[in-house]
Amino acid sequence: MISVYAILIALIVLVIYIAAYMLHGKALLERRVVKADPSRLTPAWEKFDGVDYVPANKYVLYGHHFASIAGAGPIIGPATALAWGWLLPLIWVLFGNIFIGAVHDYTSIMASVRYGGISVMTISENVMGRKARYIFLAYVYFALILVLAAFLSVASSTFAVLAPTAATVAIIYMPLALLFGILVYKVGLSVKKATLIALVLMVLALIYSLNAPTYLTYEGWLVVLSLYSILAAALPVWYLLQPRDYLNAYLLWSFVTLAVIAPFFLVPTLTVTGPAIRSFAATGGVIGAVGAPSKWEIAWFWPTVPLVIACGALSGFHSLVGSGTTSKQLSNELDALFVGYGGMLTEGAVSSLAVILPGALVWDFAKAAAALGVSTDLIYKAGINLTATPTILEFAGAARFYTAYGFAQALAWSRVVGVEAFPSLYKGFYAFAAWALTSFVLTTLDTCNRLARFAWTEFFDWLKPRAPGAYKVICNRWVASIIPVLLGALMAYPRLPDPADPTKIIYAYMLVWPAFSGTNQLLAALALLTTTLWVYAILKVRGGPAMLMLVPALFLWVTVTAALIIWLALIVPYLPALYISTAGVIVAISVALDFALIVLFVRGLLLARRAT
Amino acid sequence: MKAKEVVGLLVTIVALVLLLYGLFYVNLTRGGIGVKGQVATDAILVAAGFLLILLGPWLWLGEVPVAVRKFIEARTGRKIEEVKR
Repeated sequence: MISVYAILIALIVLVIYIAAYMLHGKALLERRVVKADPSRLTPAWEKFDGVDYVPANKYVLYGHHFASIAGAGPIIGPATALAWGWLLPLIWVLFGNIFIGAVHDYTSIMASVRYGGISVMTISENVMGRKARYIFLAYVYFALILVLAAFLSVASSTFAVLAPTAATVAIIYMPLALLFGILVYKVGLSVKKATLIALVLMVLALIYSLNAPTYLTYEGWLVVLSLYSILAAALPVWYLLQPRDYLNAYLLWSFVTLAVIAPFFLVPTLTVTGPAIRSFAATGGVIGAVGAPSKWEIAWFWPTVPLVIACGALSGFHSLVGSGTTSKQLSNELDALFVGYGGMLTEGAVSSLAVILPGALVWDFAKAAAALGVSTDLIYKAGINLTATPTILEFAGAARFYTAYGFAQALAWSRVVGVEAFPSLYKGFYAFAAWALTSFVLTTLDTCNRLARFAWTEFFDWLKPRAPGAYKVICNRWVASIIPVLLGALMAYPRLPDPADPTKIIYAYMLVWPAFSGTNQLLAALALLTTTLWVYAILKVRGGPAMLMLVPALFLWVTVTAALIIWLALIVPYLPALYISTAGVIVAISVALDFALIVLFVRGLLLARRAT
Repeated sequence: MKAKEVVGLLVTIVALVLLLYGLFYVNLTRGGIGVKGQVATDAILVAAGFLLILLGPWLWLGEVPVAVRKFIEARTGRKIEEVKR
């Protein structure tokens, strides 16, 4: 077997990202496609309201966009995709990230900015007609409620069961973010000084929280986090969202930087211990099959990979953030590339450099440890039983990520401070990885609720001229923030026996959750088709630059549609009745909707061609 | 000071007291806040502090920072009205 140096792969990935940003992002999308103009006033200035439309510093907005789009997706998905080996997921993350994800993030922001800050769903009316807009809005609203339910549940479980110390970090972190905002906006302290104060306090808070767990039950956290989501989504962005996400970006950057520096640069001689390609067809369990199909090799890398890797490569949710909260805070059109395209590349870096590569590096724990003289005894002391779990594939989802990240970091730093420190280093970095994931999840939670509020308001805009009083009540920002959280919490609260395995207890939202990955990726395809049509029909871009958007958009639509059809044909028939009537029906409706919207897209494209 | 600002200041003080009580007194004396698997009073108080600290300073300090409002007015040439809370 050829030895592949991890540092070499890390360097290739970094060079690809830099080249993509300069050539594909700046030279093509910004200058030739969108033609960003710094002199044009953005909606943040023109429609400033002090709550949602507020211009933000580009680094602050980058932090917001990056932290909001991240969620748990760029971590859990690539960790699960290691079932195909490490090379195939890495290729998909790089390709999807650059040619699809970064494009839909950037163009969603820019299209929204040019239309006064409205969502990509409402923009679709201009290129695909009024029906498309309302179908799109309703679809997105229910998808957001599902995300709220899932993230309320994930965060509550993490705080209540997995990491009570992460709850303490969150409790301390919010007042720190407020303090930062007050220091900058009210006291008038420079951003640099305020950042320094906040970061020092943040590090102290992290250290203090290591031995300060906050215990509350799952239901208790569900109530607290629901109230938090309502408040955070209705309060002005400058007050909580901007300072919190700005500080969050530092935490997330430290997380990515450590992931790159420690295992690759501290010990450049390390080689990966995992297989580049394990199989082109993983078992059905990887894409959510239960029963017999979970053991069949039906999860073909293409077209099912988008059902496994979402946010790290592409995601419909990103277009909602881009054309929802981000576009309303963009201060200058030239900032959009750094915020949207750059933010998405950073997310890809989380997947490729902080999840897939550490996984590839420590895949075979004993082999990776032996390369640096760490004994099996020390690994056992760290809490890993090599007999039961010899490779990272024995861990599932989040635990696979925590273990790979913690192990790779501990290996590298034990080289500096001594191998005896391996167990404590592993535990510390394992906790750090859990904090990073929680901070992604909490940020996404309230951004999601704010987006649901925007979708709700846009859905009822027809009421404004007809019954202004009713519109004012229905679209009041507090009312519109409470409704989605209530619905989400109602789906995250009830427990029932899993119809697929009655000995297991699941939360109600989990019945429909298997449908989410497919519908989210479908949304990405629809959002990219919408912005592609905007570029083609409204901006009148033709030739190579137009094709560089059109081809990936159609490729994505075909891929996701094929994956969903596989899911419907091979997985749904074997699901218990309750799953078929929930997740199965949602996927079937999504596929029908998918075909309806592609017809509207093709019609829009033909109309635009005829018009020129 | 307007009534809502006074309320905001009071809420902020209460929130800070609750958070400091939980994070320092309770944690340092008992090695953690709350009881595993239960809804304990000290955990409820800290959770209340966590939520109140989000509301208090907002009521106290106002919706739009004056500096931001003036900056927007200078650049756009339009008068910004205070958004009702």
